Amino acid sequence: MKKSMAVSLGLVLSVGLTACSSNASNGSSTDQLSQSTGAGAQEKTKISYWTIDRHDSDYIKQVIDEFNATNTDNIEVEYVVKADDYAQALDLSFAANQAPDVFRVKEGTIQTYYKKGYMAPIDEYLTDAQKQEFMVMPNLNQFDGKMYSLPNYGSTMRLIYNKDLFDKAGIQNPPTSLAEMVEDAKLLTEAGKDIGAYGFALPFKSPNSAWDRSARVIAELSGYGGFGFDFKTAQYDFTGFKEIAKAFKQMYDDGSALPGMEALDIDPLRAQFAEGKIGMYMSYSSEPGVYKSQFPAKINWAAAPVPTIDGTVKGASGFLGGQWLAISANSDKKDAAWKFINYMYGDQILQDYHEQGYGISMVSQIIAKAKQPDINGIEGFLPNKDDGVWPIKPTVNVEGAGYQETFFKYMLQGGDLDKEVEDLNTRYNAAFAKAIETGDVEIEADPGFDPTKLGGAFAQ
Amino acid sequence: MRNLKQKLPGFWFSLPSLVLTLIFSVYPIGWAMRYMFYDYKGYGTERFVGLDNFVRLLSDEAYWNSVVNTFVYAGGKLAITLPLSLILAVILNRGIRGKGFLRGVYFLPTIISASVMSVVFFTVFNSYNGVLNQLLVRYGIVERNVDWLGVDKAMLTVILIAAWGAIGNYMLLLIAGLQSIPDDIYESASLDGANAWQKFIYVTIPMLGPVLQMVIMLAIINSLKGYESIMVLTEGGPIGKTEVMFMYVYKLFFPISTSSNSMEQQLGYGSAVGFVTAIIVGVVTLFYFRLSKRLNQVH
Repeated sequence: MKKSMAVSLGLVLSVGLTACSSNASNGSSTDQLSQSTGAGAQEKTKISYWTIDRHDSDYIKQVIDEFNATNTDNIEVEYVVKADDYAQALDLSFAANQAPDVFRVKEGTIQTYYKKGYMAPIDEYLTDAQKQEFMVMPNLNQFDGKMYSLPNYGSTMRLIYNKDLFDKAGIQNPPTSLAEMVEDAKLLTEAGKDIGAYGFALPFKSPNSAWDRSARVIAELSGYGGFGFDFKTAQYDFTGFKEIAKAFKQMYDDGSALPGMEALDIDPLRAQFAEGKIGMYMSYSSEPGVYKSQFPAKINWAAAPVPTIDGTVKGASGFLGGQWLAISANSDKKDAAWKFINYMYGDQILQDYHEQGYGISMVSQIIAKAKQPDINGIEGFLPNKDDGVWPIKPTVNVEGAGYQETFFKYMLQGGDLDKEVEDLNTRYNAAFAKAIETGDVEIEADPGFDPTKLGGAFAQ
Repeated sequence: MRNLKQKLPGFWFSLPSLVLTLIFSVYPIGWAMRYMFYDYKGYGTERFVGLDNFVRLLSDEAYWNSVVNTFVYAGGKLAITLPLSLILAVILNRGIRGKGFLRGVYFLPTIISASVMSVVFFTVFNSYNGVLNQLLVRYGIVERNVDWLGVDKAMLTVILIAAWGAIGNYMLLLIAGLQSIPDDIYESASLDGANAWQKFIYVTIPMLGPVLQMVIMLAIINSLKGYESIMVLTEGGPIGKTEVMFMYVYKLFFPISTSSNSMEQQLGYGSAVGFVTAIIVGVVTLFYFRLSKRLNQVH
């Protein structure tokens, strides 16, 4: 009995000592801190900023370093650039109560972040001048009358093409229809044989990422909702993607697509494009920044409007944006976070951002005074008469494979496309009806909706 | 009373792990078991849906496809890992020169993060300029680049990578098992005229039985649960060819959104799928235990 008591006591004591030693070490660090505070150095307020943007990382790092060095509130910002796992990392961080104080929000994610309660409203911080300067965009930066972010830059979507390879293949202009795109991809592959270049590529490791930067904008410019949602009828209808899926499949079957694009992420794709191994692909206006700093391009390249289904424009190419930075609802340093955001939205930073070509400003005050961006390739991305802001589509949880995965499967293995589209329509509309019924989604049919009228707001 | 006091130290010693288990295993399991009867996206209202999630699971083709993939992945990984780790263990248990160094080399993949490993392997296996394809083409073994991460070969590739990462770990466990076999049994066998192969079959394998049973069980569970390298290398693609059960569950909890198209979490359905998946792993492990009872009997 004595022995058992001794062992039990020993265990309790050892646990207790461990706790004490940990307290002791905490105590000493507190002492050190208070000593240094006593010596005049003020404790730093550390906040973190997470973003998915990589194309502007050199510039943003520079402005954040400057903020850290010059701000008089002793705020220190930790700048974290996340790659394609950004959304999951953010969800995990909120689930674990370790969310960043400031984080990047985008036009396709801010609605969900609002519903999840990730963001804190910023109305109390906004000055009258800021309220004037930054456009209020319902469902893009304002929800239920409260502001959660402010616009900085918008992204246009374009076809990015390798001019050298186009010249070599004898193609004068980038394709304007799907048929031309398929044909050009074949010619480019033929011309690129000696250097191992291929006509076309998309980052299909994530079919969503590939589809939403390509087929989406082809559909939009052709008059169809880019996510398969028809705003006229308020129903899902994926018919608009049929011809696009067929064209992608044709390029794949022709051998005009980069081998292995099934497992390709966007960054490895860009690395290959920068090396001259890809003839054309589609993406956002962040690409000039990428080819300036992330993967300096060794080729001449340019951007052009994406092709439409039949060569005629019947809609508008999505101009995405309306938001940039948001404060975490869980942050206990919201004031410091706002001071950082306030600095980031300063006119000079926004103007430099635009002029250095990291993004196309959506702030009229900046557009009015900024010079044309000085970065190779940006001219093709500047808004034209066919760029416009589409309404926000509802987010639904569909049962079974998503449409991007379904079309990707068709591209690789073929099948009955009509049947697939019918099945997608049925499943998405069932999920949509359920979301309406439960009150998760509120959207009504707009019989007068005309996609041709969306363009022209940013340029004539 | 006396009995209770004798048991007290045991209780104290097990208390820390009991607390941790309660917090990090029992509580989340309880949480998930509640939500599997709900429709819940991580925000807003949670709606009780009864058995709807399980009914949906029955007809969820993608999930059952991932179950099949898991067994192919686990089977392939075990078929490569176990014989190779046993052979390596036997070789490196002998008095060969540099065995300590070699053990370290083979064990190294175990301590490298699966994600880092997969990024490196992407540069080896990618179809357009991967190191492997360059070597194969240069030496005329293949005429044109092989699509190692394509529809047909992605599963083979992730199995090879997973096996590479696991062999060293099981090798080390088996070496520990081999060292517990007394030398005099081998000496007796030699006196009886047994050759090396006979000693391996009639002494090493039976004496290694309990360790082997445990190693195989760990290997089965790890293979059924593993998805990290797949996540980095293929994200379960192309078209679900490398989607395994736990990856499918992970995606329901943390869907892969793009910057322009947000996907919503499906915590209720994810919990139901996670529960059924855990049962599948449990049943397989139990089945294996029954089958492998003989391994545990050392004569």
